[in-house]
Amino acid sequence: MTTRLIEIITATDPLVRNQSLEALCERASATELIAACTELDAFRRRSNNLYERVRALFFLYAIHRFHLPEKLSAGDHNAMIPFRGFEHLLQRRFEEATDEFLAVQAASGASDAISSALAATYQRLAFQTLADQVRRSVRSVRGNQWMFRMGHPADHPLRLRSELRQRAANGSYPVLRESTPVRMDLSHSGWSDIFFLGMDFPEGARVLNVSIDLGVHGRDTKTRPPVEACLRVIDEPVLRLTSVDLGASANITELAEVFDFARDYLGLLKAAVIAAGIVPPGIEGSGQSLADLLAQVVGPGCGLEIVSHVNDIPKGSRLAVSTNLLAALISVCMRATGQATALTGALTEDERRLVLARALLGEWLGGSGGGWQDSGGVWPGMKLICGAAAVEGDPEFGISRGRLMPAHRVLNEPDVLPETRERLQQSLVLVHGGMAQNVGPILEMVTEKYLLRSAAEWAGRQQAIGVLDDILVALREGDVRRVGELTTRNFGEPIQTIIPWATNAFTETVINRVRAEFGRDFWGFWMLGGMSGGGMGFIFEPGQKARAQERLQEIMSQAKRELQHALPFAMEPVVYDFAINERGTWAELLRGEDALLTGGYYALHVPRWLRADPKTLTSARRAELEQFSLACRNRPELEHMMPALFERLLPRPKSDGGRKQTLEELLDQNGFDRVQHEQIREDLKHGRVGMAQNRLPVSASIQDVQDGDVFDAGRPLADSYREAGLAALKCGELAVVTLAAGVGSRWTQGAGVVKALHPFCKFDGAHRTFIETHLAKSRRVSQLAGTTLPHVFTTSYLTHAATEGFLKQQENYRYAGRLLLSPGRSIGLRTIPMVRDLRFLWEEMPQQRLDEQQQKVRDSLRAALINWARTTGEGGDYTDNLPGQCLHPVGHWFEVPNLLRNGVLARLLQERPQLRHLMLHNIDTLGADADPAMFGLHLAQDACLTFEVITRRLEDRGGGLARVNGQVRLVEGLAMPREEDEFQLRFYNSNTCWINIDRLLEVFRLSRTDLDDAKKVSAAVRTVAARMPTYITIKDVKKRWGHGQEDVFPVTQFEKLWVDMTALPEVKTQFAVVPRLRGQQLKDQAQLDGWLRDGSAAHVASLCQWS
Amino acid sequence: MNIRKAVITAAGASQRTLPLQTLVDRDGTTKTALAIIVEEALGSGTEEICVVVHPGDAETYRKAAGAHSQRLQFVEQTEARGYGDAVWCAHQFTGDDPFLLLVGDHLYLSRETRGCARQLVEVAAAENCAVSAVQATHESKLPYYGVVGGRLADHRKGLYLISEVMEKPTPTVAEQRLIVPGLRAGNYLCFFGMHVLTPAVVKSLAADRAAGGKMHLSHSLMKLAERERYLACELQGRRFDIGLKYGLLNAQLAFALSSPDRSEILSGLVELLAQEAR
Repeated sequence: MTTRLIEIITATDPLVRNQSLEALCERASATELIAACTELDAFRRRSNNLYERVRALFFLYAIHRFHLPEKLSAGDHNAMIPFRGFEHLLQRRFEEATDEFLAVQAASGASDAISSALAATYQRLAFQTLADQVRRSVRSVRGNQWMFRMGHPADHPLRLRSELRQRAANGSYPVLRESTPVRMDLSHSGWSDIFFLGMDFPEGARVLNVSIDLGVHGRDTKTRPPVEACLRVIDEPVLRLTSVDLGASANITELAEVFDFARDYLGLLKAAVIAAGIVPPGIEGSGQSLADLLAQVVGPGCGLEIVSHVNDIPKGSRLAVSTNLLAALISVCMRATGQATALTGALTEDERRLVLARALLGEWLGGSGGGWQDSGGVWPGMKLICGAAAVEGDPEFGISRGRLMPAHRVLNEPDVLPETRERLQQSLVLVHGGMAQNVGPILEMVTEKYLLRSAAEWAGRQQAIGVLDDILVALREGDVRRVGELTTRNFGEPIQTIIPWATNAFTETVINRVRAEFGRDFWGFWMLGGMSGGGMGFIFEPGQKARAQERLQEIMSQAKRELQHALPFAMEPVVYDFAINERGTWAELLRGEDALLTGGYYALHVPRWLRADPKTLTSARRAELEQFSLACRNRPELEHMMPALFERLLPRPKSDGGRKQTLEELLDQNGFDRVQHEQIREDLKHGRVGMAQNRLPVSASIQDVQDGDVFDAGRPLADSYREAGLAALKCGELAVVTLAAGVGSRWTQGAGVVKALHPFCKFDGAHRTFIETHLAKSRRVSQLAGTTLPHVFTTSYLTHAATEGFLKQQENYRYAGRLLLSPGRSIGLRTIPMVRDLRFLWEEMPQQRLDEQQQKVRDSLRAALINWARTTGEGGDYTDNLPGQCLHPVGHWFEVPNLLRNGVLARLLQERPQLRHLMLHNIDTLGADADPAMFGLHLAQDACLTFEVITRRLEDRGGGLARVNGQVRLVEGLAMPREEDEFQLRFYNSNTCWINIDRLLEVFRLSRTDLDDAKKVSAAVRTVAARMPTYITIKDVKKRWGHGQEDVFPVTQFEKLWVDMTALPEVKTQFAVVPRLRGQQLKDQAQLDGWLRDGSAAHVASLCQWS
Repeated sequence: MNIRKAVITAAGASQRTLPLQTLVDRDGTTKTALAIIVEEALGSGTEEICVVVHPGDAETYRKAAGAHSQRLQFVEQTEARGYGDAVWCAHQFTGDDPFLLLVGDHLYLSRETRGCARQLVEVAAAENCAVSAVQATHESKLPYYGVVGGRLADHRKGLYLISEVMEKPTPTVAEQRLIVPGLRAGNYLCFFGMHVLTPAVVKSLAADRAAGGKMHLSHSLMKLAERERYLACELQGRRFDIGLKYGLLNAQLAFALSSPDRSEILSGLVELLAQEAR
């Protein structure tokens, strides 16, 4: 098998090279797989070829992630992931990490834990290898290299063109204005514009890319290039950057600030200034003077002003707005410094390619990275962009099969006739669905699946290539209807075969409703970019376009209203007007009275100028004000400026007065304890509580549990357990409680949607929410037991109304049993974090180091956030957001006592006096069900609590099962005195807990009859709560603003956790190790693909009965 | 190829006075820059010299040329249309002959017994084609010079077959089109201010003149590279642009250090430095 794998990697014959790994691994034993891994590891270390190394790394990753674990013996609980290896991994010392993990494997044998660590290491090393190569290629593109050599202003070889330095009679400098269309991908390329695909499979990397002008339907009277960049000389030796749409402006006086990307919203402009060579990357860290550099390039005492403006196009449009803005900025800077022949008009083909190369560099500098088609707006009209084979003389030759930069062929008349272009414009309705999603993981999945040549996905890729050919034929024949059929097929078949997560419930709802309403007049759907839900296209019979635009707005808005708590929407859906732009990026030189920047620039700056002391206004600025005021009177497009300026100068009271009131109301309604809040704030400010204080004392002894401390439920349990459990189920002794009060911060990076309602995956042909999946499991168990299982979902102020409304809308998913919501009774108000805690989190806690440039950007962002915390007021209330985003649930410990306080348990017991046990589990523990055998085990253990734990994998961070000073208990990760302690613990908490109700009531010193006494219950809860530790945590919260813009802020909140019940000596707790498929949690959407591929999804499906 | 004619351009508005500056030559005698340039030309074997001057400057220049003044012809450039136009102004003088082209604000110091111009003329005569003197120059100086791209001619060190000529390119363009194998990274072949050109260049300039606008010599040299064998040659010598800040001073120092007064100059410099250090 080993030889076969290496043969596949090294083969030149495509038939051999394109074989999938799965087919070979299926039949192999664990021993054969381990031997194959040893050989592959040696092979990738000795190979000099990029492609061979990367493919071998992905093979190694896939074997350790998907194939080897299932073939290992289930009883292996002894392997520990070495902490040193983990540290190496975090610091991106991948080779050292691999060596550590392999050494443990050699000493203790293969294990699930070590395989998880090796899988993560190989995968990250593979992506790092790819990123390094792309970076090297970007640097080695001819035309980019010199910028990395230049380190002193005196050596600067660029000079501003003389035309830009000639003042007009009114004293103004000319303005060079670049207008650039954005691009759309007319076929959806199957993500073949990912750099590595293009570099490894140039013949398969093809994109049909169209440059378009945009307008928002109903708002703008006409379409225009959505992206604008302006440049002019100023009489100060500074770099003045302004982003009109982000409302940000800065006078940059130091070179270091140019390289500080995340300091403000001007990162893109800074990246452009660097990538265009005005401040070349080679001068970073030189300590030289920006004024000297500007003197050399622009002239002594002079500087440059650069302004960017996006025509209010929302973020996430999938039209590559950011990349094209970057390209526009680079283009205007290159023209200004003579790096393009023409100061105005179009660019030549060579110059466009250079702008593309610089945009790639700029994206890398900014720590982002799109596909290679993204700068398509620089080119005119419709074009086919294809990967190009590397030939001798290319920097890539001998390293990768393809070049970094693709080749562009602008489609001319025979390819697409003018009337076809017109028809396409009359048929296509372009929209933004409003969803904001991170497509980064999708692009990694595509790369990985390509390299593994997974059979279905590889066939999908071939099909997508065929679809593109068919679309080209349809365009040549002028058959737009056929284009619609093909893009629909592309979306439904190859795209979703390659990445099932490309679609979602919102997109499918909209498509189905459009299809139902328009019938045969709906010609097709077409997905844009990384995933659907944002930018999308709907193709109609031309006569229907006007109606379709109106109706699509309504259909999308309606679907958004229905799903807004379930899926992350950044904004209201938008319908665009669009037109094909046939000239690509274009520049004009505005002189004399016309030499003005965009209206938005003046809306931003004029109020500041007017507020300043008139004596401080320079004569140039006075002249500009006069010029602008004249233009406002004479130019129709600036008519609206005067009212806008007054609005800025004398802003009306913000309507968020109401918002603040709502926040106060929310706090009152949800039992906010202000006294406790003030106490915690005081403690925080004085350092009595905080991230560092969460930890147990360093003197605490943390040891792994002994074999007798846990029951091994990893193997099939004895029939007696199953029979006992089933009998108790039949008697109605169990209810299921699903913890659904949180919003799943990691799931949507703090977007504040309800995770329980997220239709995260397709089962049985439809997208299913977490709630539906849990109910489907309870339905199956109910059927097995012959009686319905009560199911409770705990909620909080954040999730209650949404969950209630959603379940009503879904008619409780027709769940036959009792379904109750247990609303929260406690709430917290988030606070601005203490700088001390931020530093602890970012500097003391182990952190995954990022790739070089991304890390630089992250460091810069963190410095900005620390500054934000300091200037906003550490420990102050966090109120500058939507009310819902300012509050926080106070931890899942409260969710069980809430059952006591809110009457839900009393109600259940009244309805079912025979109810004796609860099965409590997290919303994201999808494999957990009321399994009769596990229930039987809990009954046999005769414990108050039976916790389910799983064997640890690398990703299972956050505490575990330990002997703490001799006592067996669960320890939360926040409480670990030393990071390395966690790595000595074999078992990780799944947070699934079987609860004996009467024993638990005893702990609270309550009886069943006391549950009707609200006062007594509250006092009991307070007493036990006081014995639970309070953890200070820092969570990310998103603040949305502008057109789909999002900022993520770290905020402080506190919580008490259910696992700490195991520390109470009077609570008899038992622990059982359960199979991973039962106990694992889905915390991050990036896990979904692996979860689907490793059999977890199939396992969950086997537990469910959907109707 | 027999090169008997030389053209010296000195009509640029900003360089009119430069050839009139005086300095002490390598032989210890005081001369104008123009006289030194004329001697450089005559030393190459050329016999007739034409100086292109700004209208009205001829007499001043004739005086400044010293002993060789009678061997000079003058033509005036009446319109400021660029360096190409200045060269074209000498078209009646050059006729159908190849000629040596020098600029009035550059002085040369050879590292061997033959002068720089002579080295160039000998290469042109041997190769029987146009040859431009070049010097490997760091990219930071690109804004000041014309630059050529090409490859070694017949694997001969210091001799290049030119395929591209560009005037003051940006490093971006230079890196894409003007990289010459064998040069250090970030270095390009920049003009040395000295060429041996063929009549084809003058014809090309004439065509450009008819088209109107500014005339760049580089443009005609590019055309030359497309049509004829055109070489670049690295000479054993140094070039001094006396139009630059301290250019004249540098030239004077270099000349003095190559002259019999070397010891005197060195001791003067040491004394200056010692006083400065105090």
